[in-house]
Order: sequence, then C-alpha cells, then structure tokens
Amino acid sequence: MNEAEAVFLFVKIWSAVGTVIALVFLTVGIDRIDEDARGAYVFRLLLIPGILFLWPLVIWRWMILETGRDRWLNRHKPPREAHFWVAVLFAVAIPAIMLLGLSQRQQWPSEFEPQQLSVEQGEIQ
Amino acid sequence: MSVKYIPVQWNPNKWKYNTIMLVSVFAYLWIFIELTPGIMANEGRINGQIHNARAFGSCAFFMLTVILCIGPLARLDNRFLPLLYNRRHFGVMTAFVALTHAGYILNWYFAFSSSSKYETLLFANTSFSQVAGFPFEIFGIFALLCLFALATTSHDFWLKFLTPRVWKRIHYLIYAAYISVVAHVSFGVLQDQQNHIFTITFMISALIVAVLHLMAALHERRHGDQMANLSDGWVEVCDISEMKEGFANIAMLANGERVAVYLQEGKLSAISNACAHQNGPLGEGKVIRCLVTCPWHGFQYNVTDGRSPAPFTEKVPTYNIRLEGDVVKVDPQANPPGTYVEPVPVKA
Amino acid sequence: MKENAPFFVGYLKIPAKLHGFLIKVSVIIFASFVAGAFLAGASQDDPGKAGFRFDFGRQKLKGVLEANPYPLLHVISGSDRIDAGQTIMLTAQGKSGIMTDTNALNGRVVEATGVIVRRGDLDMLQVLPGQRGIKPTNEASILPASEPLGRWRLQGEICDGKCLAGAMQPGRGLAHKACANLCLLGDIPPVFVSSKPVEGEEFLMVGGADGGMLPRELYHFVGQFVEIEANVERRGDLLVVLVEAENVKVIK
Repeated sequence: MNEAEAVFLFVKIWSAVGTVIALVFLTVGIDRIDEDARGAYVFRLLLIPGILFLWPLVIWRWMILETGRDRWLNRHKPPREAHFWVAVLFAVAIPAIMLLGLSQRQQWPSEFEPQQLSVEQGEIQ
Repeated sequence: MSVKYIPVQWNPNKWKYNTIMLVSVFAYLWIFIELTPGIMANEGRINGQIHNARAFGSCAFFMLTVILCIGPLARLDNRFLPLLYNRRHFGVMTAFVALTHAGYILNWYFAFSSSSKYETLLFANTSFSQVAGFPFEIFGIFALLCLFALATTSHDFWLKFLTPRVWKRIHYLIYAAYISVVAHVSFGVLQDQQNHIFTITFMISALIVAVLHLMAALHERRHGDQMANLSDGWVEVCDISEMKEGFANIAMLANGERVAVYLQEGKLSAISNACAHQNGPLGEGKVIRCLVTCPWHGFQYNVTDGRSPAPFTEKVPTYNIRLEGDVVKVDPQANPPGTYVEPVPVKA
Repeated sequence: MKENAPFFVGYLKIPAKLHGFLIKVSVIIFASFVAGAFLAGASQDDPGKAGFRFDFGRQKLKGVLEANPYPLLHVISGSDRIDAGQTIMLTAQGKSGIMTDTNALNGRVVEATGVIVRRGDLDMLQVLPGQRGIKPTNEASILPASEPLGRWRLQGEICDGKCLAGAMQPGRGLAHKACANLCLLGDIPPVFVSSKPVEGEEFLMVGGADGGMLPRELYHFVGQFVEIEANVERRGDLLVVLVEAENVKVIK
C-alpha cells in the first residue's frame, strides 16, 4: 500500500465511523441533549456532513452534555483576543508568502544559445 | 432560536443579501467563462476545463477576500454590520464555488491516468523539499477542508451544541484557509503567469485583507473595552455620568469575561456582554422595547434577568450591581444565566 | 454606540439612514466582481497554437518502431500529414504511454493508427488501444542507426511531451507540474524545450543517460527552467537528449 492508498483507507474508515455516529446521534442523541431539536427533523439532514467530518468533536460534546458537565460560564467567553494575533499573523504571513512565491519565479532563458561542449559523446560522471 | 430548528431561517433581508451576493458571483463566472475568451486575442485556445477551473478558483479567492473584509470593516465602522448578518450564507456559497474549482482540477489534471484521481492528487508531485515546484495543490486541499468544516457546521444547532467558544475556534480556520489559499496561488499559478494583471489584482486583494485586520486590531487596542479595577471584591465599571439611557457601558473582568451595564428607565442592570447565540457584543447593542438587541443577529434579552422573551429560551448570565456614590460597580461573580437581579435606581 | 446611530436588526426593516450606505456597498461589491472577472479572465496567457488534430482525421502510418528511451516511429509510409522519413513520438490515450510491450517490437515494422497532437514542429501520435493502435507486420526492416551529436549544454524546460504538444492547453510550467509528472509516470515521452534550437530543433525527446527512461530524480525538475549538460543524439529527424540526474540544475 502506498501513502495515497493509506490516506484514502483512513478517509474511508473515518467516514464509516462518522456514518454510524451520525445515525445514532441524529436518531437518539440529539433529542436527549437539545430540546429545540425535539420534533424537528428536516434540519437534521443538514447536520450529516458535519458529523461525518467532525465526529470526534460530536462525541466529546455529546458526552459533556449527556453527563451534565457543561459549564455555562464557558458559553459566554468568546475567544476575542485571537483577533489580534490573527491580524499579526496576516500582516506577516500574507506578504511573506507572496514575496517568497514571487522570488521563486524564473525568467525563460530566451537568450541562451545551446553550447556544444564536445563533438564526442561525454562520459557519464 | 430556541423554537424548533428549521433548515434555514429566511427573512426579507437575507433574501436581499443573498440576491446581491449571488448576482455578483454569477456575473463574475459568466463574464470570466463566457465573455473573456472573446476578449483575449490569443493564438491558442485555453482548454475549457482549465478556463472553468480558473474562473471558479479565482472567484472563490475573491469571495473569500470579501468575506474576510467584512469582520474588520464591521469592527471599524458598525454601518457594515448588515454585511456580517448573513455572512454564513456567503461562506457556504464560497465553499461550493471552491469545490467546483477542485472538481475541474481533479477531473482534468489528475484524471485520465490508470490510477484513481484522488490518489494521483496525492502522489503525482512529491517535490515537498523544494519551494519552486512544491505540490501547491496541498494548500488548496487544506483550504477546501477548512471551508468544508465551516460550511458543514454553519447551522445554528452547532453553535448551541458546541458552544459559541468552540464554534468560533473552529471557524477561525477561515484565517488558516486564507493564508493557505494565498500560498496555493503564490506557488501555483503565479509562478507561470507572464501577464501580471492577475498577480497584481491578487496581491492587492490579499494585502487589503491584511491591512484591514491590522487596522481593526489597532482600533480594538485603542478603543476597545477597558479592564475594570477591582476594589473590595467589586469591580468599578464607570462613573454614573458616563451612562446613557438605553445603552450600555462595558467592563472587562480580570478573567476575560465582559460585563455590559445598562441604564434603562433610570435603573442600572448588568448582564454578560456575550450573546448566547454567537457571543456577539450585547453591550454594543441597543435597548428596543425594554429588550437589549444584539448588534449581530438581533437576539434579544431582558436586562434584568438575561432572558429572551417567550417563546425563545436563550439566557445569559447576570451580574449583581450597586452604586457607590457616583461609581457603578458590579460583582465579578456571574449569576447563573437567567437569574433575576433587582435593577438599581440611579436617583435614590 | 452613538445615540442616534442607525441600528440594523436583521429581521426588521433596514433603517432609512442605512439605505444609501448599503446600496453603495452593494454596488461596490457587484462592481468589484465584474471588474475582477474581466481582469482575471482576460489577462490569461496565450497557450500558443497547439492541440489534438482531429480535423486531420485518423492517421495510419507504417514505420520502424524504436522502443527506447520512449517509443517512436521512423515513418516509412506516411499520410498526407506525416511524410515518410519523419520520426514521430508515440503515446496512448489518456496519461499512458503505449501499453504494448514495445521492447518486443523494437526494430520491427509496425502499423500505427491514431490522431496527431501537434505544437509547431513537435508531433506526437496518440495511437488507439492494443492491436488497433500498434499492429506488427512481418516486413523486414533495419532500425536506423542513431547519430551522436556530442555533448551539449542546454537551457530550457523538461515537460511531458503530450501536454506540451497540446493535449492540455496550457500544458507546461509549474502550475501544470503535477499533471506533467503523472503523464511521465504513465510513460509518456518527456520533451525538452530548448531556449533556442539545437541543430535546428527546439523540442528534444528526453531519456536517461543509460538510454532508458527519464530518471525519477529528475521529476523534481519538471516544469522548472533548468540547465543540463548531456549527450545529444539524432534518431531519424528527431533529437534525443540523454540526461544524467546529477547534470541538471535549476537556473537561478
């Protein structure tokens, strides 16, 4: 198996597990942990891709809500300080990446004349 | 909104918003795909698949650029808040446009070989140790996965389920995605272009995003909420003369929480500054018919108990409040969401 | 928040004070997308005139097959498009070289049927699958001897010959590198585009110094502008450059 096959095997296993989780969560779990979902079904279809993709997160949150360990205060602490660091990151990374990209650009050697080095076939070095 | 979930909550403003964005995107794609081949005086003809891939790819980049400008613009000037209101729909559109770009690339450059196109995407170019010739597709894949994570968790259910804090952290992936897209373009198409118009347009767009974020961050540093002083277990918010009827003053607590203190009908009340929905800044909202209204998505709360009016069931924490002379003070210990606190009259 | 500032609530009517501003912003967004489409769309580089020549019709050529470094055909009896005496590179459909065991056919006369891919004087014949594409005959033949042209220093780009010839437009450069590598992995003949013609030829087939295929190490250089020092041989009217991995370097 090469690396690419391994990656896709991983994707298949991930999605298979996700499918099982989505099935259980959307039929049983969601009604237990969110009163707003009770009696609402169509919107659940929209959740399927997210669960397939991020199922470990779903299990983690599901368990927290199920066991009543959800801390209400955490719901009101947005990570706002991150905006500053995003700004710094953007200011550094965006110009740096673009300059690095431009610095790698090559000029087509339109003026270069092919040179015959010897009439004999040369040795392989 | 604490009534039963539905797939999408529509209202006239969302329709207007989506119409403007969709018309812009369709105009872009139509002009690029249908009109520009006739304008270019090229001898050779670019393959349809490559032409389309470029149309969708560049469109996704410009869409992402617009999306990323909205946040800082709204922080610099709150007249831009209506653009923030339905940004998620535009984000989902972007994910689809980017996916279409990926589809064209995958079904053209990586197809027609004896191996699966998904595998060839990963092994065709393995020059990971060089900058020029680096498999820049990886950056595109990463950005696409980020957009996918955002789009698939865009329903309000996820906000409540994951908590706004976790949801926001996931959605910060948009910044990683943008940097990744910049790399995707810089190490990809920029390497070959001989006509520099796209290069310049691309660089200006990305620099606008960087500069706006920097401006918003500096604005926040200068004009952002102030850390409140602690004295005998209570924190000082402001002088009573600084309070305005119907509006709030915001104090930042040592633990990072923010408290919004309102003067309403001559009485003081304090609730958390973070809306239960997406943690929008309630203190920057306005009291409309006795209810503070979040500037982001219009969620409303009664300032005395932090509860949304029926039939909604959202709740935010409240804070005990007192007036010492002319100084407004709050207890840094938040009350559980929905706890009633007797408002403190100003004119005692 | 200023006292009299307009306050937008998504599910309520837009405040009158914001109308003008929001219309302006909408127009700017729309205009930016329109301008962006023209700027990005109309400034794409010309990929040059090249491509599949289905308009020439199906070509049926007879010639001596040479298997290495990549299959080529020394045409004995041509068509109205390909003259006898021409040497043409062979490839198969998609990103695959000829699947038939060409080594077994080396030096034999075969009938090759397919479509021409052409850029300037670079021709490649994309043959049909199996016997319909390459059909051995029993005619006697002699493989034309290759003529050594000495050792050369060249500058240019290693491409996959098929995309370069016009199977993809554009079909070279770094943005196309993964596709080029995939073609080369599929045994499609690589072609070196020289900065200026070598003995009259701008396009040279590339092989390894051992006379076999392009060394895998050189895949890293595909799509970049490189300088190579290598032996050049003439095979029929086609030049072949036989490169050693250590004698290729990126032009600074």
